[in-house]
Amino acid sequence: MSTRFPTINPNSPHFFFTVFSICLYLTPIITNSRSIRTITSPSHLSDDSSTTYLWPLPSEFTSGNETLTVNPNLSISGSGNGGNSVIVRDAFARYKSIIFKHVGRSKFSDLDYDVGKVNVIVHSSDEELQLGVDESYTLLIAKSNGLSIIGEVTIEANTVYGALHGLETFSQLCGFDYGTKTVQIYKAPWFIKDKPRFAFRGLLLDTSRHYYPIEIIKQIIESMSYAKLNVLHWHIIDEQSFPLEVPAYPKLWKGAYTKWERYTVEDASEIVNFAKMRGINVMAEIDVPGHAESWGTGYPDLWPSSSCREPLDVSKNFTFEVLSGILQDMRDIFPFELFHLGGDEVNTDCWKYTPHVKQWLQERNMTEKDAYQYFVIKGQEIAISKNWTPVNWEETFNTFAEKLNPKTVVHNWLGPGVCPKAVAQGFKCIYSNQGVWYLDHLDVTWDGFYDAEPLEGITDSTEQKLVIGGEVCMWSETADPSNVQQTIWPRAAAAAERLWTSKEAAPISNTSETALTRLQYFRCLLTRRGVQASPVTNFYARSPPSGPGSCYDQ
Amino acid sequence: MIWQTIFLGVVFQLIFVFGGSNNNNNNYEKNVYIWPMPESVHYGNKTLILSKDFNLKTDGTKYKDESGILRDGFTRLLDVVTLNNVVEYNVGKVDPSVLLHGIHVVVLSEGDELQYGVDESYKLYINSKGNNPNYAHIEAATVYGALHALQTFSQLCHFNLNTRKLVVSQIPISITDRPRFSYRGLLIDTSRHYQSLPMIKKVIDSMAYAKLNVLHWHIVDHQSFPLEIPSFPKLWNGAYSRPERYTVAAAAEIVSYAQRRGINVLAELDVPGHARSWGIGYPALWPSKTCREPLDVSNDFTFKLINGILSDFSKIFKYRFVHLGGDEVDTTCWTLSPRIRKWMKQKGLNESSAYEYFVLKAQKIALSHGYEVINWEETFNHFGDKLDRKTVVHNWLGGGVAEQVVKAGLRCIVSNQDKWYLDHLDTEWQEFYMNEPLTNITKPEQQKLVLGGEVCAWGEHIDASDLESTIWPRAAAAAERLWTQYDKLAKDPNEATSRISNFRCLLNQRGVAAAPLDMPGRGAPDGPGSCYLQ
Repeated sequence: MSTRFPTINPNSPHFFFTVFSICLYLTPIITNSRSIRTITSPSHLSDDSSTTYLWPLPSEFTSGNETLTVNPNLSISGSGNGGNSVIVRDAFARYKSIIFKHVGRSKFSDLDYDVGKVNVIVHSSDEELQLGVDESYTLLIAKSNGLSIIGEVTIEANTVYGALHGLETFSQLCGFDYGTKTVQIYKAPWFIKDKPRFAFRGLLLDTSRHYYPIEIIKQIIESMSYAKLNVLHWHIIDEQSFPLEVPAYPKLWKGAYTKWERYTVEDASEIVNFAKMRGINVMAEIDVPGHAESWGTGYPDLWPSSSCREPLDVSKNFTFEVLSGILQDMRDIFPFELFHLGGDEVNTDCWKYTPHVKQWLQERNMTEKDAYQYFVIKGQEIAISKNWTPVNWEETFNTFAEKLNPKTVVHNWLGPGVCPKAVAQGFKCIYSNQGVWYLDHLDVTWDGFYDAEPLEGITDSTEQKLVIGGEVCMWSETADPSNVQQTIWPRAAAAAERLWTSKEAAPISNTSETALTRLQYFRCLLTRRGVQASPVTNFYARSPPSGPGSCYDQ
Repeated sequence: MIWQTIFLGVVFQLIFVFGGSNNNNNNYEKNVYIWPMPESVHYGNKTLILSKDFNLKTDGTKYKDESGILRDGFTRLLDVVTLNNVVEYNVGKVDPSVLLHGIHVVVLSEGDELQYGVDESYKLYINSKGNNPNYAHIEAATVYGALHALQTFSQLCHFNLNTRKLVVSQIPISITDRPRFSYRGLLIDTSRHYQSLPMIKKVIDSMAYAKLNVLHWHIVDHQSFPLEIPSFPKLWNGAYSRPERYTVAAAAEIVSYAQRRGINVLAELDVPGHARSWGIGYPALWPSKTCREPLDVSNDFTFKLINGILSDFSKIFKYRFVHLGGDEVDTTCWTLSPRIRKWMKQKGLNESSAYEYFVLKAQKIALSHGYEVINWEETFNHFGDKLDRKTVVHNWLGGGVAEQVVKAGLRCIVSNQDKWYLDHLDTEWQEFYMNEPLTNITKPEQQKLVLGGEVCAWGEHIDASDLESTIWPRAAAAAERLWTQYDKLAKDPNEATSRISNFRCLLNQRGVAAAPLDMPGRGAPDGPGSCYLQ
């Protein structure tokens, strides 16, 4: 559902800018006759100007050696069909408060600042957020003077979601200077041309093992936008609890831990909308038939028997009626085209040991494995009938690939080598190899996340395109609101760069030189924005700092 | 499963509000879910619905609210009670007689100065059928008492999942409340690890939920000097890095942010022992390049600098007290440095008396800037009789110190490390709860000398990632000990378990990373489960 790139029209007001930016791009460093008034300070930390403190790194950029000051009364000027969108306006207000969070009293008057305005040009007014939406942007930062037609800061994007990424990048270039008490941009002029490597850059959150209040989920979504992640995979329900309201089957959320640990339909919509305002899709998951014991708290008929409660009873029509009812209600909440149907870790013993299910299998001459396949395929059919594209965990592919709907997106998790097999058979694939991208694996260090490669073992370019991206997974057996952000960050950011930045710009070799300093800087940026990101170099994730020290060294 | 049975038990306890009012005996109140427990609560069993235009009324108040402290407090109240769920105001017919239209706040005093001992008491009552339209009533001597009342009110509000409306239950309700101690502190340490402005603000917000009222800001120590001192601008060269700093404006913003929530900021300058980072900007403060602590006692410049810092402090930190540290002073470097050894000899001082000389001189400087001085207990233990009589002794080494201090006629703050150090992860919330500041202090005039207590989150292993989870929920246990009248406290902490558990979950709902109760400090939950049971 990507928007078309606009054709260059010489009569368009953006034509001049577009041509100019192309010229600028070809000439990396423009000379500027005006001297720099403020102290020269190439980076926020030291005089080491070789590092570009951006995370994830843009695919293409050039910088100069000027320092620009930013006016605290920074304003926005929107143009193009989507430039005045409320999504852009709200984002600008958020970033403005982030940029000027660390206050100081400056002696400057408005006229003394180099940058007073951000121009945001958005070509399309289409705000539909779907997989593959155009997220590209260009960002130009240059001092305005009499000779230059492009003063100040210009972000140009085809969609509002590209513009959001541009604003994030802009905010990362702004740093508070403790000498002048102003916000400054170092190494200007900047020209950045950026787009994501993969369309699907996900984070899984599990609200069944532990409930997360809405405020915490919003904090997580907000922090995802800082790392340009764009899919919140909401693993809403599992064995342990059923926190979501389903109007069609109102007893289902009796499976919540308590009446306070629940999401109403309105709450879920609020989360979807909050995420959309930040360019993030919400992919909901109903993990059937294996991870669904909590469904039976409200409807015990869904259990094979009261003593053998999982998987869901494959023999009853009622099971599929409930499944269909849930999907129907969810369709109104979750506009994203992908819907996750789970299908992992299905232990079919309860089917074997429950007389009425066993009999049902025998009558149909089905093995347990057949019944598992029957269940998954039926689930897929229901999802497709409601206009979803089904996503399933890899066991479904490993067990009966040829029966899966060809539109199925296979979600890898067990280990390496699965996406190559899935794409070879024409399926799309999401990479989440647990050895490197499971956040609850506390012994996987940041470089383990960083060095992972979703396209490993896939050389054919058509097949490569079938890997829509990857996802880091925050399973919550031992994570709750007290430590979830610590467990997610900074390691999720390492994967976020792998998913966003081109392979050439973010090589896997020599990462302690090319990535570690930047990641430490990004981790500190998260903490400065109020996110509880853990030390980068600790062996175990979310362990406390080993001793006193600077955020930038730990 | 077993846990389901257990949780149903808890849920039943939480759901059913037993009618009738508290007959005010000394039994522990089991059906009130307010943390910390108020002095008295009388309640019924009706429920009111918050109206869509729930508003603040201030007719008859003397307080003009020119700086908007009350107005902002009311806005924050609306924010926190609507945080959990999307509230539906328009669906369904509501009987107007069950609507609560707002809160009528009457503040009796005009001023809004926040000082030690400010009257924090309040009364809060909600009638089941008031004059139409029905308002909750708050009466307080000062705006800060009114802020506490709003916090209490926020804990009475719940989201009704069936009607999608916000309700207050246990109506009619009448609450009278005041703090037991005037000093209810939390120490944060921004020298071992820098904490950003948003993090500190978040901590201040959460302190207000628990009615803590002093943020003890241990700004500077060995490791780093993050604060800007205009009189001696090289001092913050001792910061870890350029961004790990606080400008004067940032510090002032923290003070103002806290004050608007009824919280004072106590600044600490820990001299002479914990001050190595000062010498990064001014190496003359070190006894020598190789022996860098304590500050050079022999150098007039040392005291000129302390004077400069305290002078700058006095423009930012308006609390009556300043903390001058004075703990853990290893004076070896003074003897090892020939220059200082010579100076001590000339003055007839040994290491111990030089330590005393330093502390007393620093006290005089602080007094000259209008501050009363707080010092860590070592100063009292070494030369208690020499300390300025207005000194507040800050206990930390162990129990039993407050008793000695008040006997000597000095004031005291209790922070015995075995019970109230948050960085001691093996101290459980029950121990925090049971730590009694007035242990063995029976004479009323001596009891009055105990200003209160403080929990300390020393930052060696605390950075932005684990600050909140180390503080909460254990700090809340101490907060109740410091706020709630003695006879209203649980005699057995386990009586308070479901209520503090409820408060921990409330913190989570408000976006605070409060850790499970049943684990050591900041421990991860040991398996899946409800917030209310972990």
